[in-house]
Amino acid sequence: MAEVKVKVQPPDADPVEIESRIIELCHQFPHGITDQVIQNEMPHIEAQQRAVAINRLLSMGQLDLLRSNTGLLYRIKDSQNAGKMKGSDNQEKLVYQIIEDAGNKGGDWRLKLWYLHIVTYALNQVCHHPTPRHTFFIGCFLCSRRIWSRDIRYKSNLPLTEINKILKNLESKKLIKAVKSVAADTARESKQNPMIQRNSSFASSHEVWKYICELGISKVELSMEDIETILNTLIYDGKVEMTIIAAKEGTVGSVDGHMKLYKAVNPIISPTGLVRAPCGLCPVFDDCHEGGEISPSNCVYMMEWLEF
Amino acid sequence: MTQAEIKLCSLLLQEHFGEIVEKIGVHLIRTGCQPLRVIAHDTETSLDQVKKALCVLIQHNLVIYQVHKRGVVEYEAQCSRMLRMLRYPRYIYTAKTLYNDTGELIVEELLLNGKMTMSAVVKKVADRLTETMEDGKTMDYTEVSNTFVRLADTHFVQRCPIVSATETAEPTPPPPAPTLVINEKDMYLVPKLSLIGKGKRRRSSDEDAAGEPKAKRAKHIESKEPIPDDGIYWQANLDRFHQHFRDQAIVSAVANRMDQTSSEIVRTMLRMSEITTPSCAPFTHPLSSNEIFRSLPVGYNVSKQVLDQYLTLLADDPLEFVGKSGDSGGGMYVINLHKALASLATATLESVVQERFGSRCARIFRLVLQKKHLEQKQVEDFAMIPAKEAKDMLYKMLSENFISLQEIPKTPDHAPSRTFYLYTVTVLSAARMLLHRCYKSIANLIERRQFETKENKRLLDKSQRIEAIIASMQATGAEETQLQEIEEMITAPERQQLETLKRNVNKLDASEIQVDETIFLLESYIESTMKRL
Repeated sequence: MAEVKVKVQPPDADPVEIESRIIELCHQFPHGITDQVIQNEMPHIEAQQRAVAINRLLSMGQLDLLRSNTGLLYRIKDSQNAGKMKGSDNQEKLVYQIIEDAGNKGGDWRLKLWYLHIVTYALNQVCHHPTPRHTFFIGCFLCSRRIWSRDIRYKSNLPLTEINKILKNLESKKLIKAVKSVAADTARESKQNPMIQRNSSFASSHEVWKYICELGISKVELSMEDIETILNTLIYDGKVEMTIIAAKEGTVGSVDGHMKLYKAVNPIISPTGLVRAPCGLCPVFDDCHEGGEISPSNCVYMMEWLEF
Repeated sequence: MTQAEIKLCSLLLQEHFGEIVEKIGVHLIRTGCQPLRVIAHDTETSLDQVKKALCVLIQHNLVIYQVHKRGVVEYEAQCSRMLRMLRYPRYIYTAKTLYNDTGELIVEELLLNGKMTMSAVVKKVADRLTETMEDGKTMDYTEVSNTFVRLADTHFVQRCPIVSATETAEPTPPPPAPTLVINEKDMYLVPKLSLIGKGKRRRSSDEDAAGEPKAKRAKHIESKEPIPDDGIYWQANLDRFHQHFRDQAIVSAVANRMDQTSSEIVRTMLRMSEITTPSCAPFTHPLSSNEIFRSLPVGYNVSKQVLDQYLTLLADDPLEFVGKSGDSGGGMYVINLHKALASLATATLESVVQERFGSRCARIFRLVLQKKHLEQKQVEDFAMIPAKEAKDMLYKMLSENFISLQEIPKTPDHAPSRTFYLYTVTVLSAARMLLHRCYKSIANLIERRQFETKENKRLLDKSQRIEAIIASMQATGAEETQLQEIEEMITAPERQQLETLKRNVNKLDASEIQVDETIFLLESYIESTMKRL
């Protein structure tokens, strides 16, 4: 796991002072303060600077970020927990950096963190199978930036265990919640589901008829029966197989309550061994015997075949 | 036995065992059961030679004997078993893929020697493997024994029938020929042997130096040591190999028609029925979906739901290889072995028609196959082929016996103008006809190979002599220039000729094995059909 150097932007003019003021405020209101309170307290600083300071405090683990029905709350964090977060500080920065990069929006990661109010995230379930069963994504409701946690892993080169730890930490801070993506699930399921795969590869005779008509390759008007006759010859060529399904009277293309579906197939065996030898295709096979005019020893077909 | 089969057996016996055995063997095939003296008389060979020839044939399970009334022992040739000699390379290759080089050599030794005791096999295989290993390394007996035990557990090798040890109250004279029996339970039971040792490398220097005394000593030692499993002989179980080939063919057919996962599921089902279902059964035992799920190979991440869907798809497929026989245990599924073999045989027929007569003929063939009975006019309509061409193609196939005519008279006098003539395909008779053609083809290929070798006999002898000279000179330490001089005795065009000969012989050999694959499919189908009738 290569330690990616994260560029730490130098704080603004009085960031330390802003931060210490915010800390003071938090100590004043142990239940948490809103952004509005900070704004009232320090009206002269811009929102940008405010955000920077808050992010920095959050990342240093001195503040807790909470959500209430009114808005966001910042609460002073217990000192004993502050130390724990420090260790993963760099890595967390890294993880968020990657998320931010995926969103194609530049800028200070700390600022973005402030905007990541609730981050839905997921974990690749640790499994021993080659393809993961459940894959979640990390995204933000506000800015709809998404990135698969798998990509985070690849880009940060952090091992899965580290990523899990970081995300669990964030989860314990109530910043993020595990939510399964329903859309991703159905997409993946339909890819694996053999029934759906198979049914999608069928074409009804009606569809084929429409396609041929639209192509306009035939000068004569072809009816659906004609198309079916042609498709039958393809069945006798062994290239197509047909199934009949029951269909309601109303559905398009159904005749007498059933529909014919056609699908291209492969032959079940490759050309058999006998036809690979010259004797399998020989026209004078019955006249051939040792010591005769036509014999294996003087067979011209064999000679040509051996020279091949 | 048809002429083609007799010819093929004669060629095979000659190649494997020589003139005398071939003469006796062919005579027995032609005439059926015969006692010893009659054989000697009819073939005009000495009694001694006939006895030796029969020994060889019996050792390889090619001839069986029976005691008839009045104490006459009669010998009968097994023609079908003789034709299996064509398939030896395929058996050995299968053993190699399943059990690596050790398994390959074990099966090869058993096939070449007919019947052997386990200790003899282990010793010989260990020696052979040691030869190929690097200097200083030897093959341990235990590893070879383990592979042997695994082969026995999966039924690829089996015990030969032995003389039944019956206790006789009074000493009766022994019967003219022993009756051999084998208990079902004992057939795959490996005796508990403690085979300890390592393979020995055959050193040419030792042989030269020691000379006579060592050879005498070695023989003396060998005869003194009692062989622990004397009397327990093993042979290769060809039926089990045939079952394996059949399973392979079915799995690859499913993979071609459907996808990889379905073929893996079918492979799992066949593996589960390996030991439980007899080889000639039309259906495997019903397997529940839960069992199949548990037996899927590790690492195959198919959920139970997806497996159920695959099984439903397999059961509904027009191929009809898999059928559903009940709903207990999440759904009971069977593999329809007879239908699978029939489909494979039909596909073989279609392939032959396509290659020989063209794809339009193949279309007509498949059409008649599907519709069972058709009139001339109907054939033209369905296949969308002009009347004249359709007629021509039908008659061509009729003359080659792929298609037959069924007459249905309208009037009692069978007047041609008032009779329906329906074209139909009887797969069984077409398969038999094709099988006969296969036998003759292989005989032709073998004859051509022998002819090519005979043509270049002089050249082959010369090259062998030169190789022997070079080898002996290298052993005695000759100079590089001398070796080159000898090598130049073979001129460049001669070398070219040798290369061509080698290529041709290999090609003919490979072609024999390919035609044998067709023979296997057709024979399996015919056997399966005859069992059901």
